[in-house]
Amino acid sequence: MKTLRVGYNSCGIAAGAEETLNKLHALLDGNSNFEIKKTGCNGMCYLEPIVDVIENGKIYTYGGLTSDKVEKFIESLEKGKHIDDWIILHPDHSTAQLSYQEKQVKLATKNIGVIDPENIDDYIAAAGYQALEKVLKTMNRQQVIDQVRASGLRGRGGAGFSCGMKWQFAKDAPGEEKYMICNGDEGDPGAFMDRSTLEGDPHGVIEGMTIGAYAVGAQVGFFYVRAEYPLAVKRLRLAIKQAEAKGYSGKNILGTGFNFSLHVIEGAGAFVCGEETALIASIEGKRGMPRTRPPFPATHGIWGKPTNNNNVETYANIPYIIREGGAAFSKYGTDMSKGTKVFALAGKIKRGGMIEVPMGITINEIVNDIGGGIINDGKCKAVQMGGPSGGCIPAHLHDTPIDYEKIMATGAIVGSGGMVFMDQGTCMVDIARYFLSFTVEESCGKCTFCRVGTKRMLEILERITAGEGTEEDIPLLQKLCDSIIKGSLCGLGQTAPNPVLTTLRYFRDEYEAHIREKKCPAKKCKALITYRVVADKCTGCTLCARTCPVGAASGERKQVHQIDDLKCTRCGFCKDACKFDAIVVE
Amino acid sequence: MEQPDLSYVDEVLNRYKGHKGTLITVLQQVQAHKGYLEKEALERVARSMGVPTARIYGVVTFYAQFRLTPVGKHLIRVCHGTACHVQNADGLTEAVEGELGLKTGETTPDMLFTVESVACLGCCSLAPVIMVGEKVYGKLSTDKVRKVIKEYQKMEKEVVQ
Amino acid sequence: MAIKVTINGKEYEGKHGETIRDVAKRNGIGIPVLCERAQIDPFGSCRICLVEQDKARYPVVACAAPVFDGIVVNTETELIKGLRKLDMELLFSNHFADCVAPCNLTCPAGIDIQGYVGLAANGEYPDAEKLIKQKVPFPGILGRVCPAPCQKECRRNLVDETVSIKFIKRFISDINFEKGTRYIPPVAPSSGKTVAIIGAGPAGMSCAYYLAQQGHQCTIIEKLPKAGGMTRYGIPDYRLPQKELDAEIAEIESLGVEFLYNTELGKDVTIDGLRRSFDAVFLAIGAHVSKSMGIPGEELDGVYQGIDFLREVKLGKKFDLGETVVVVGGGNTAIDAVRTSLRLGAKNCYIVYRRSRAEMPADPIEVHDAEEEGVQFHFLTNPVKIHGKKRMEAIESVRMELGEPDASGRRSPVVVKGSEFMIKADTIIMAIGQEPDVSCIGADCKVRTTKWSTFMINEETFQTDIPEVFAGGDAMRGPCTVVECIADGRNAATQIDRFLKGQELTPIPGVYSVQRGKSLKALKALEEEWKHRFPTEPRAEMPMLNPKKRIKSFVECEMGFTERELRRDAGRCLECGCFSQYDCELRQIGKAVGAEPTALKTKGEIRFESDLRHPFIMKDQNKCILCGACVRACDELHHVGAWGFVDRGYVTTVQPSFGVALQETDCEYCGTCVQN
Repeated sequence: MKTLRVGYNSCGIAAGAEETLNKLHALLDGNSNFEIKKTGCNGMCYLEPIVDVIENGKIYTYGGLTSDKVEKFIESLEKGKHIDDWIILHPDHSTAQLSYQEKQVKLATKNIGVIDPENIDDYIAAAGYQALEKVLKTMNRQQVIDQVRASGLRGRGGAGFSCGMKWQFAKDAPGEEKYMICNGDEGDPGAFMDRSTLEGDPHGVIEGMTIGAYAVGAQVGFFYVRAEYPLAVKRLRLAIKQAEAKGYSGKNILGTGFNFSLHVIEGAGAFVCGEETALIASIEGKRGMPRTRPPFPATHGIWGKPTNNNNVETYANIPYIIREGGAAFSKYGTDMSKGTKVFALAGKIKRGGMIEVPMGITINEIVNDIGGGIINDGKCKAVQMGGPSGGCIPAHLHDTPIDYEKIMATGAIVGSGGMVFMDQGTCMVDIARYFLSFTVEESCGKCTFCRVGTKRMLEILERITAGEGTEEDIPLLQKLCDSIIKGSLCGLGQTAPNPVLTTLRYFRDEYEAHIREKKCPAKKCKALITYRVVADKCTGCTLCARTCPVGAASGERKQVHQIDDLKCTRCGFCKDACKFDAIVVE
Repeated sequence: MEQPDLSYVDEVLNRYKGHKGTLITVLQQVQAHKGYLEKEALERVARSMGVPTARIYGVVTFYAQFRLTPVGKHLIRVCHGTACHVQNADGLTEAVEGELGLKTGETTPDMLFTVESVACLGCCSLAPVIMVGEKVYGKLSTDKVRKVIKEYQKMEKEVVQ
Repeated sequence: MAIKVTINGKEYEGKHGETIRDVAKRNGIGIPVLCERAQIDPFGSCRICLVEQDKARYPVVACAAPVFDGIVVNTETELIKGLRKLDMELLFSNHFADCVAPCNLTCPAGIDIQGYVGLAANGEYPDAEKLIKQKVPFPGILGRVCPAPCQKECRRNLVDETVSIKFIKRFISDINFEKGTRYIPPVAPSSGKTVAIIGAGPAGMSCAYYLAQQGHQCTIIEKLPKAGGMTRYGIPDYRLPQKELDAEIAEIESLGVEFLYNTELGKDVTIDGLRRSFDAVFLAIGAHVSKSMGIPGEELDGVYQGIDFLREVKLGKKFDLGETVVVVGGGNTAIDAVRTSLRLGAKNCYIVYRRSRAEMPADPIEVHDAEEEGVQFHFLTNPVKIHGKKRMEAIESVRMELGEPDASGRRSPVVVKGSEFMIKADTIIMAIGQEPDVSCIGADCKVRTTKWSTFMINEETFQTDIPEVFAGGDAMRGPCTVVECIADGRNAATQIDRFLKGQELTPIPGVYSVQRGKSLKALKALEEEWKHRFPTEPRAEMPMLNPKKRIKSFVECEMGFTERELRRDAGRCLECGCFSQYDCELRQIGKAVGAEPTALKTKGEIRFESDLRHPFIMKDQNKCILCGACVRACDELHHVGAWGFVDRGYVTTVQPSFGVALQETDCEYCGTCVQN
C-alpha cells in the first residue's frame, strides 16, 4: 500500500497541485494499492507541486509533479519503480535538494507537509493535544508561564517581546473577563509563514493558544486572519469545529471545567491592523487606528478587558515547549534569542520557500546553503528583513548571525520572518521608495508624523528616482526619518523610516548617483534609463515593434530596428519579447 | 426612488444578533452578496446595530476590502509584495492595464474586468503573481500575463456567442 | 496618595490617574496641545505635546502618559523642540490656506487690506479708516498715488480682475472728510522726550504721527515752505490736489507735532546741535537731487531736471516751455513732468526712453492717461547731445536695441551704431533718476553713507552709527514708493520709542503666516478652477475727466467712485485671510516653536473646496489637522455621530457619512463640533 501525500497549501495549489490531485483521483480512485492524502507545504515551495510517496515507512519526495507528469508517475509506481530524476528527497541517499532541509530544525512547523490539516486524527496521532492535556491535568497557570519563560520564547511577530512576560502581565491583570488574540494578519509583503502554518497545521496554533488561555485566564479567543488567506480561514474554522467536537475546545475542555471558545475574524485589508491596538479596534468594529499606550492591552484590551495578543508562530511553538520543557527549546538559538525561527525566503533566491532554523544561523548560510544562492548565478546584493518595518542588510554583513539584537544593530529587524533577496538588478533607492509607498498607503492617518511625514518622504524619493533629486534631499530625509521614528504614535510609523535609513546607510552611493549624475546604477528607475537596440544582434524580426504599446520601437523587416527615446515609456515589453537579446537597458 | 430589496442584509444581521465585535464580519458578509456595499444596506446595518452612519462609513472607507461601487465579473489583483516588486510587478501592471485599456482601480465599461493592486498575496515563491477571482497565476512575465488576460477575454466572447 | 513627579529638574506632587499634562498644567509648565479636549479621552494624534520621559524608549505624549512615582520628565530638550518645530511644519505643509491675505502680506506697510475692504463693503467707513491708520496716516494720499503692489497679488485676478484696493482706500478717506468723521488717534500723556525729524515728507510725517501718539514731542524741520516732501513737490496737483494734502497734514499737526518750515539741515541747524537739543533725531530728507545725464549742451536754456522742474512749478515759478517739450526717462517722474508740461501749454509733448514700453517702471495707468492726453512716446531712443545757441533747439539722439539683462534683470539698451538723428524741441526735461543730498549732515558727521548717496543704518533698528540718530525713507533706501517711506516712518517710530524708553531695540518681526502659494504666479494653475467657482463681477471703473478738458488745468483727473460702485467693488473681495487668524492655536504654536510655515510645502499638498452646504456650520478641510475633536465630541459628548473620519492615511478627511450635507444627517445644529 502506497500513500501519496500531495502538498496542498495555497502555494501548491497555485503551482498546479489541484490539477495533480484531480488527476491522481481520476486514475487511482478505487485502486486499493494507493491511498491519496492531502497535506500542507513542506517548505520547498520552489518545487511545487510536491507529492510524497510513502511505502514501507520510507518517504520519497517528488517535486514539480504537475498533472501532465501524473500518468508516467503512476505507471512507474505500479511497476514498483521510482523516477529518480523527479525525486527531490530520497530516503536512502542524499540529493541535491537535501541541503535545503539539512540545517533546518522543525519545532513549530514539524507537522506541516506531514499531516492532513483537515483531519484532527492526523494531528492527534502526531502527539497532538498532548501538551494541552498535560497542562490542564498536571500544571497550574503559573507553572505554564514559568515553562514558557524558561524557554526564552520571544514574540515571533516581529516585536520580539518575551512571550512568558506578556502572559504574566495578562495573568496578573485584575479582572475575570479576559481575551486571547492570535494575530494572523501577516501584512508584511513577502511573508507567508503564518499562512503556511494556519493552512498546514491549524491545530498546532489552536493548541498553543488554548494553553495560553489557560495560563492567562481567558475564556474567549479571536483568530484575526487577513482576508487574503481564504484557505487558511477555511481550514482554521474546520479545525475549531473538529476540536470542539472532540472536547479540545469550547466548553469544559477535556472534562476539566476549563472553557475557551474560539472565533475567526477575517481582516478587511489594513496592514496597520497588525499593530495590536489597531487589531483590537478592528475587532471592536472600529477603524483600525492605534491608540496611546499605556494602558497596555494586557490590562486594557478588547472592550477594556485584559487581552493577550500573540503571533501565529509564537503559539505554534508552545506545544513543543510544554511537551519537551522550556529548557529543550532554549538549547537552540543564541543567548538572547532562544529557539528556532520560521523564515519565508523570496525574491532573487534560487530556492524560495519556508524554512525553520535555529536562531544564530548566519544570513550567508541561509543564502547559500539553504537557499542555493541567487538566481542566474548572480551575487546577493542585499537581503531585506522585516518587511516595511525592517531594512536592507548589505552583502558584507551577511555573516551576521540571526538574532534579535544583532540584526537590530544592522538597522534592520528580524521581523515576522520575511526575507527578500536582491541582486545587482535591484535599485536600492527604488526599494526604499517602494516600501515608503506601501507605508503611505497603509498608514492609518491618525498621527501627524506618520500621516504627513511619510508622504513628504515618499515625495522626495519619487523625485530622486525620477531624476529630480537635489543635494538637500539626503539631509532632509535623514531629519524626517529621525523625527518620524521618535514622534509617531505606533510601531508602523516608528519603523517606517527603517528601509530608508538602511539604504541610506549602506547604499548611499546609489542615492548620490541618482541625485548628482541622474543615473540609476541598477538600471531600474525609468526616468534614468534608456532602451537601445544592439545592432549586431538584431535580426529585424519586428517582434519588438509589434509588442511596443506606444510605437517607440520600429524598423523594416530584416533591418536593424531602433527605439525612439522620446516615445519610449521604459515598459520593458520589447526586451521581454526579444528572442535574440538584442535590446539592452542603459 | 425604489428602495432595493434588503432582505439579504437582514439575514446577515439576524445571524449575528447579540454577538459583540461582529461589525466587520457583518459588512464582509453583506458585501459578499453583490460584490459591493450599497448605501441603503449600510444604513440598515447602522440602524440595526445602533451605530451612527458616519461611523459605519468611516469603517467602510478605512479598510481596503470594502467597496462602495460594483466590481467587475473578474477581479484581477496584481500582487505588489516585495518579492513580486523585485520581479517586475510594475511591468505586469502596465501589461494588464494596457491589455484592458484601463488604470488600476478601474473597471471595464462592460463590467467584466476590474484591476486592483494588492500588497501581498502570500505566494512569494511564485513571484510575480496575479489572482483572477480565486485563481492564482504565478511565475508570470509581461508576455505571459497578457496571454492570461486574452484567455479570459476569449472565454467571455464565447459565452456571449 | 501623592507621588513624586520631576519636570525639568524640579519636583512636583502628582496623583495616581493623572497625566503628565495634568501635573504640568497645574504647576504652570506650558506644554503645547492641539488635539486635547476636556471631557474627551486623550487621542494622541497631533503629537505636539510630546515630552521626554526618562527610561522611555521614545518621547511620550503628555496628554495621555500617566504619572507614576519617580517619573522624570523633560519638556524643553533640543529633541523636543526639534520635534515640535517639525510637527508644525508637517501640519503646515498640508494646510492649503492663508493666515493673512496676500494683499496684506504684499503691502510694504502691512495694512490690513482685507479688513478695511470688508468694512467698506459694509459701509463702515470710519472703522475702515481707523484700521488703515493703524499702519499709515495717509489714506487720501495713498488712495491716489500708491502703485498698489497689493493689487498685483490680489487673488481676485484669478477670477477676473483685482479688487480696487487703492480706489477703495481713497473713497474711505474722502467720505470721512466729507462727513467730518475722520479718525484722530488719542495721544498719550507727555513722556517728556523730544524728537527732531528732518524732512516733512511721508517718512518724516509718519514717524511723527506714531511717536506723537506715544506722548513724545516731535518737531519736524523742513527745508521747503510747506510740508509734504515728494507728495507735494514731486507729484502734480492733477494726481494729488494740494488741498487733500493739506487736510491730511493738518491731522498730523493736530496731534501736537510742531512744523518748522524754511529751515535747512546743514545751514540753519546741524546734526550735533539737534543732538544736544533733542533726545533723538530721525533723518528723512528724501531724495531730491536730480541725476544729470552729463551730455553736452546741458548748460543751454530750456534744459531742466525732472524733479527740480516739478518742484518749481509748485513753488509758483513761471515757465516758457515753447511748443515742443521732450521728457527723458521712463519712471513716474518723467510722466508727471510730461503731463505737467501739457498743462502748462506745450503743444507737443514727447517721452523719450532708452528701453521699450515693457521695461518702463512707470505706473501703466499713468502711461495710459498720458497717452489719452496726447503724449507721444519714442522708445529705444537716447539723447546724446543738446544743440542750440543760447536756447536749446534740437536734441541729437541715437536708436537703441535691447541686449543682455543687467543687474536689475532688465535687458540693457545698446546703441545702434550710425543711427543718430535730430529731434527738434524747445525744452528738454531730464528725469532719469534722483538721489539724496547727504552733504547736509556735514563732512565731520559720524553717520556713514553708501556709494548710492544714502544713509547707512542697522536694518533692524533704523539706527545710524550714532545711536540716537535714525534714518529712513528715500534718504536711506534710495528713491522708492510713498508707502515704503511711510512704513519706514512707522517702524522707525517703534524703535525710536523703545530707545526713548530705554528698552531693547529688538528686530520688528515679519508677519507669521501660512500661505496657499508664495505669489499669484504659484497659484496660476488654479485659474480654471476658480473661474468656475466664483461668478465673475467686473471691477468698478474709475470715472475720469475728459482728456481734452483736463489738460487745460491741474484739476484732479480721477473723480472717485460712487458709494454704490465702491460697495460693489469691495464686495468682490474673496476674503483670502483666515477669520481665525487672531486666535488660531496652530498659528500661535507655530510661531512659538519657530516653525517655518512653508518649509515643507510640496506639490503633494491636497486642495479641497470648502463645504458650505449647511446654513450655520462651514467646514474647510484644508485647515483640518485631523485632531478628531469634532468627530469625538459629536459622537462621545453629544451621542449623535454626524461627523466621521473617511478613508485613511494621508487622504483622510472628516465628513458626514457618504459625503452628504451635514443637515441631512442626524446633526442637531448644536455647534459642539465648531466649539471643539
